[in-house]
Amino acid sequence: MLKRILAIIAILIIGYWLAQGLANVPFGQDKMLVGKYYLEHVKDQTGAVNAVTAVVVNYRGFDTLGEVTVLFIASTGVGALLWRKKRKRTAKTEGSVVLTTGSKLLFPFIMLFGMYIFIHGHLTPGGGFPGGATIATAFLLMYMAFTIYEIPHKEFEVTEGFAGMGYVLVGLLGLAIGGYFLFDWIWQTWHLGTSNIGRLFSGGFIPIIYTIIGIKVGTELSGIIDNMLKEEVKE
Amino acid sequence: MSQVAALLIALPLISAFFVPVLKQISKNLIKPYLVLITLVQTGIAAWVFNEVYSTGKPILVYAGGWKPPVGINLYIGHFAALFVLIIAIVSFLMAIFSFKAVNIEPIDKYAMLFLLLMLGATGMIATGDIFNLFVFMEITAITAYALTAYNKTGEAAEASMKYIVLGGIGSSFFLIGVALLYGATGTLNMAQLAEFAKSINPVVAQVGLALIVFGLAVEAELFPLNAWAPDAYQAAPHPVTVMFSAFVVKAGIYALARLLYLLQKASGWSSVLRLLLIMATLTVIFAELSALRQKDVKRMIAYSSIGQIGLVALAFSLGTQAGVDAGVFHMVNHAIVKALLFLGVGYVGITLGGTKLENFEGLGRRMPLTALAITIGAIATVGVPLFNVFWSKLRIILATLNAGFLWPAILVLFASVVEAVYYFRLVHRIWFMGTGERAKEGVIAGILIVLAIIVVAIGIDPTPLWNIVTKAGNDLFNVATYIKNVPLMGVGP
Repeated sequence: MLKRILAIIAILIIGYWLAQGLANVPFGQDKMLVGKYYLEHVKDQTGAVNAVTAVVVNYRGFDTLGEVTVLFIASTGVGALLWRKKRKRTAKTEGSVVLTTGSKLLFPFIMLFGMYIFIHGHLTPGGGFPGGATIATAFLLMYMAFTIYEIPHKEFEVTEGFAGMGYVLVGLLGLAIGGYFLFDWIWQTWHLGTSNIGRLFSGGFIPIIYTIIGIKVGTELSGIIDNMLKEEVKE
Repeated sequence: MSQVAALLIALPLISAFFVPVLKQISKNLIKPYLVLITLVQTGIAAWVFNEVYSTGKPILVYAGGWKPPVGINLYIGHFAALFVLIIAIVSFLMAIFSFKAVNIEPIDKYAMLFLLLMLGATGMIATGDIFNLFVFMEITAITAYALTAYNKTGEAAEASMKYIVLGGIGSSFFLIGVALLYGATGTLNMAQLAEFAKSINPVVAQVGLALIVFGLAVEAELFPLNAWAPDAYQAAPHPVTVMFSAFVVKAGIYALARLLYLLQKASGWSSVLRLLLIMATLTVIFAELSALRQKDVKRMIAYSSIGQIGLVALAFSLGTQAGVDAGVFHMVNHAIVKALLFLGVGYVGITLGGTKLENFEGLGRRMPLTALAITIGAIATVGVPLFNVFWSKLRIILATLNAGFLWPAILVLFASVVEAVYYFRLVHRIWFMGTGERAKEGVIAGILIVLAIIVVAIGIDPTPLWNIVTKAGNDLFNVATYIKNVPLMGVGP
C-alpha cells in the first residue's frame, strides 16, 4: 500500500514537472521553421503529393533506413532467441469451416489492399510500413485459421535480405549518380514523371522505396509471427 | 569525394542484409565474411580518419543531397573520425575472436546483429541530427538486447529483460525530450539547435535537457539507471561484452556530452550539469565498491568498467575545455584497456571453462601470455605511472580540482584505492597461487599482447595521442566552430 502511494506521488510530481515544460511550448503558434519549407517545396522537389511520405522517404530518408533496420533487428533477434533445431506448430483445435473458408477468401483481398497502400504511398495516406503490416495480417489470418499453415521461411528470409539490400542499393545508386547517399536520382537527375505530379508514375524514387519497404516489412512481421507460434519438438 | 564517407553506414547495413542470402550458399562462410566486412570497414574508417586529421576540416555527409536543416547530415569531425576508427578496429578484433568464442547457433543471426551493433554505434557518433541520433540509439540498444540474451541461458534472459525494460523507459524519456526541444525551436538539426539555444524558454530547456540526460544515462550506465549493466556484461557472449564496454557505452556518453555542450547557452544549463556531476560521482563510488566483493572476474571487470565510465562522465560534467579533453582521453584509453581485459578474461573463460575467480589461480603458469596481458591491463586500469590510464586519470582529477570541485576529486581518488585493492588481489591470484598444466594459446594471445604493448607505449609517451585527443575534445567543446562548419540553409522564420 505504502509503495503504491509513494509511486502515485512520484508520478504526480513527474507529471507536474512535464506539464510545466509542455505549458511553455507554444502550441498552435507558427513555430514551423523546417516544416514550412517542406510544405512549400514538397511538390516540385520530390514530386510527392503526400508531404509526410516525402519527408519520411526523401528529405529524412536516413531515418527511415534506420527504422527499417530496427524492424530487421527485431525479427532477427526473435529468430535468434527462439532458435531450436526442430520446431513445429503444435496448434490443436481445427478452425470451423466458416473460418477457414472465409480466411481463404479474404487472403487475396487483404494482400491486394496491402500492396495498394504501399504502391500509392506518395499519393494517399499510408506507405510502406502500414502496407507491409497489412500484408503480414493476411499471413497472420492464415496462421490463425489453419493448424498446419506455414510460410516458406527460407524464401521469406532471402526476400527480406534482398529487399533490405535493394533499399541500400537505391541509396548507393544515388551516391553514384547524384553524388549523395540516398539521393533521389529518378526525380532530380532523370526528371522522370515531372510532368504528371499526382499520378501513379511520379514521385521519384518514393514508390520504389515504399515497395521495397512494404515487401520487407510484410516478410519480416510474418517471420516474427511464424517464429513465435512454433514450439520445440522433443525427439 | 567526401560523400563516400556515407559508406561507413551503408557498408555494414548492406552486408548485414546480405547474410540471409549468404546463409543459403554456405554456413561456413559466415564467420570469415564477418572478418572481411569489418576489415573493409576499418579501411574506410582509416581513410576518413586520415582525411579529417590531415585537412583539419570535418567531413559532412548530406543524406539525400539535402542541406541541413531540411535533410539529415552526418558530421564526421575530429571526434567522430577517431571513434569511428576505434569502433571499426575493435569490431574487427572481435570478429576474429568470434571464431573461437561463439559456437551457439544460429550463427547467421549473430553475424547480422554483430554488424548492426557496429553500425548503430558508428551512426550515433557520426550523426548531426537529434532525431537521427534517437534512431541510431534504438538500433544500438535493440541489437544489444538481442545479443545479451544470445546465449539462451536463464541468466542471460533475465539480464536482457532488465536491460530491455530500463532501455525502453530511457529511450521514451529521450524521445519526449527531443519532442520538447523540437516544439520549442522548430528544428532537429544539432547545429541549428545550438544557434537557438539562447532563446529557448528556460523551463522547456531544463525539462528537455534533464529528460535527455536521464534517457541517455541508461545507455551510458550512470548511477541510478545502470543496474542492468553488470548482469548484461556477464551474460552476453564474450566478444559482445568487449563491444559493449569498448564502444556502446562510449557512444551513449558521447551523445550525452554532445547534446549538453550544444545547448550550453541555454538558461538552466549549469544546473543540469550539476545533476550530471552528482550522478557521475555516485557512479564511480558505487561501481568500485560493488566490484570489491565480486567472485566472478568478468562481473568484477564489468563493475570496474562502469566506474571508469563514471569518471568520463565526471570529466564531461565540469563544463571546461580541460575537462572535456581529459574525458575524451580517458574514453580512448579505457576503450583499449577494457578491450584488452574483457578479451583476456573471455579467452580464459573459454579455455578453462568459466570466469570464476578460482579459475584464475595459477594462470601465470597455465597461460603465461594471456596472464601477462591481463596483468598489464589490471595495473593500467588502477592508474599506475607509465601506463596509459595514469595520464588520463591524472588529467581528469586535475581538471576537477581546477574547476573548483574538491569533494568529487577526493571521492574519485578514494575509488581508485578501492580499485587497486581488487585488481591487485586478482593479479596476486594469477601469479602467486595455484598450479596447473600449460594450456595452448593461439592467435588471441597475439592480439592481447599487441593491445598490451599499445597500453604501455601510450603510457611511456602520451604526447602523440594527447595531440589527437585535444583536437577531438575541441570538436566537442567548441560549439561556435561546430555551428560554423555546418552550412545551414536559410529557412529562418
